Amino acid sequence: MSKLWRIARHEYRRNVFRRSFILALLSVPLMLVLNVGVGLIMASREVNNAPVGYVDHSGLLAEPIPAPVTGSTNPIALFPFESEAAARTALEAGEIQAYFVVAAHYYSTRDVDLFYVEPPGNNATRQFYDFIQINLLAGQPSIGADAARRAALLGDKVTVRSVDGSRHVPSGGPTFGTIMPLLISSAFLFLLLINSGYLMQAVVDEKENRTMEVIVTSASPTQVIGGKVLGVVAISFTQLAVWTLAAILAIAIAHRLGVDWFQDLSLDWGTVLATAALAIPTYVTACALMAAAGATVTSAQESQAAGTPFVVLHLAPFYLAWAIVMTPNAILPTILSFLPFTALLTVTLRNIFTAVPAWQVAVGIVVQTVFAVGAIWLAGHAFRLGMLRYGQRLRLRDMLRVRSQ
Amino acid sequence: MYAVSVSHIAKSFGAIQAIADVSFDVGCGEIFGLLGPNGAGKTTTIRIVLDIFKPDQGQVCVLGGPMTEQNKDRIGYMPEERGLYQDIPLERCLLYLASLKGVPDAKARRRLQEYLERFDLAAHKGKKVKDLSKGMQQKAQIINTILHHPDLIVVDEPFAALDPVNTQLVKDLMCELRGQGVTILMSTHQMHQVEELCDRILLIDGGRDVLYGDLDQVRRRYSGRAVLVRAAGELPAVPGATRVSPNPGPSAKVGNGAVKLALSEGTMPQSVLWSLLSQGVEVEKFEIAVPTLDEIFIQVVAPLLPGRDPQSTALAPYASDSRSAPSRIGNT
Repeated sequence: MSKLWRIARHEYRRNVFRRSFILALLSVPLMLVLNVGVGLIMASREVNNAPVGYVDHSGLLAEPIPAPVTGSTNPIALFPFESEAAARTALEAGEIQAYFVVAAHYYSTRDVDLFYVEPPGNNATRQFYDFIQINLLAGQPSIGADAARRAALLGDKVTVRSVDGSRHVPSGGPTFGTIMPLLISSAFLFLLLINSGYLMQAVVDEKENRTMEVIVTSASPTQVIGGKVLGVVAISFTQLAVWTLAAILAIAIAHRLGVDWFQDLSLDWGTVLATAALAIPTYVTACALMAAAGATVTSAQESQAAGTPFVVLHLAPFYLAWAIVMTPNAILPTILSFLPFTALLTVTLRNIFTAVPAWQVAVGIVVQTVFAVGAIWLAGHAFRLGMLRYGQRLRLRDMLRVRSQ
Repeated sequence: MYAVSVSHIAKSFGAIQAIADVSFDVGCGEIFGLLGPNGAGKTTTIRIVLDIFKPDQGQVCVLGGPMTEQNKDRIGYMPEERGLYQDIPLERCLLYLASLKGVPDAKARRRLQEYLERFDLAAHKGKKVKDLSKGMQQKAQIINTILHHPDLIVVDEPFAALDPVNTQLVKDLMCELRGQGVTILMSTHQMHQVEELCDRILLIDGGRDVLYGDLDQVRRRYSGRAVLVRAAGELPAVPGATRVSPNPGPSAKVGNGAVKLALSEGTMPQSVLWSLLSQGVEVEKFEIAVPTLDEIFIQVVAPLLPGRDPQSTALAPYASDSRSAPSRIGNT
């Protein structure tokens, strides 16, 4: 086994078998399970499939078109009542969970009263309003009852497609497939911020405990820094593997339990690949710069401060999310799609709301790659210059000097 | 073939010149002392030898050629700034560092167990390094330096912060290793340790070599202008010889009861002895006064310190040296 791999293995073992790391590793899936579990429990508490009654004084529902039922929602029986008294009797008898009274002047006021003993399920309320909506739609001269009936059968979803046909967004909001690249890049950034910190820590630790001088007489600086980066990458893969497994499990459970958002699991692979192509150089850049920062500082405490600007830069698109979402093709989001640190998150954010032109993604990938190569050079140079500077910070001016020690 | 051969190396860090011109050779199987005052350039020289720094000029050959990854595995290094991973168990730490020297795991474990027992650390191998005492960490550092059975050992201030017991342990180990043919390049301030251990030395100051050669020959070269005499009774006056220590008087004797006499120009030790004998002095001991390395160090280095008058600090009885003409003594 080469020294590079030995160093990588050492870095991996040193971090992965720590109690704090294992806790952090498991905390994310636990949090996921907890969130999904709590969400499902809350959702199930708000579901009531008992029939609902209605009294229509307006005539809107005289010849009703059935309410559209989509996804996992169970159809709820909607019973018409001649009078409010009859509906009230049925409610008190427990035959229905609630009843709605559509006002006579509904067309002008949109007044609907709801009567219940216990608050009805959200699904029941939602379904009744869908029922109202579809019947209102049927009354529109430009649409007509037949079209409304077809819409009711197909569901009330409207799908927005991008001009090139590569992406689509249903009226119910972005699907799992649309959001997934953003989730991937966010998880990736989260990983990156944690693990590149490990790298900086590893360099600073060896300077602080004076092991560095022994290490560099056993392996070349390239082997040392390369082994550390590989070790951190392996740590990331471990985390990614555990978290991905947990996510797949959670998605499968949610899919099986019929949660709406997890029914359509199709992914836009083009976007996923573009995300990966941006993520890899972004990751390398972050690792290299953190290693360089570790080589320049003199203590672990200083290293935390040195890492803060990188964290802020990576998260900048989150702070500017409103501008990116509202005008995804404006100048600011376009520029952020090219810049190091911000490209990954900006492109994935924009992708939810627009089709980012392929050339912009390509330019972003090229810029990130060039920057990654430069960062590796800088890291190697800073490491050579700074590895034996005890109690003395390495200045940027020294770092940028081409001549090596 | 030399284990280390350094030829006219120079190194600057920005405007600071750490080494101006240093050359020396270290023979195989010898203990070589690299001496010099603080800031003389010893550690920088060692780092250049170990290829941590590249020299601005000059050449370095280690174990027969320029430093290679294979050669690194044949070198043991104990830096002045000691350091081991603090938050992992001692055994794991030393095995990892041995693995970086290319020692197979099984062999490293077997050797490590032997050394841990020898250095009385076997019971502590499962402890984290940070939980060991400073002395134990020092011993662990020594084990790390020799665990891969290097051909060349480079130690920077090996006796720093060691108690007398551990100092003796290290000295014995160094002698044992020399007996096994291992070459040791040692940098230190502790002249008495150098006198005890080293075969040859290089004294550097201000980034230049100022004294170099076989230790005995160096001392002999700096002797010859004084003799030590121990006699029954008071010493009479001897032509061409002046008592320099201790001061003249009834109880004027140095350490072992001897008196040091400085010889004037042209006076030979033999003539002094003859004079004493001819005066009927009962001579118990007569020897050429060989200076300690401490004295030579001060004599050579002190005149070179800024603001010092070379003439006023040179010890009269000994030959002086000058910075502009570095002394090279012995067959190198």
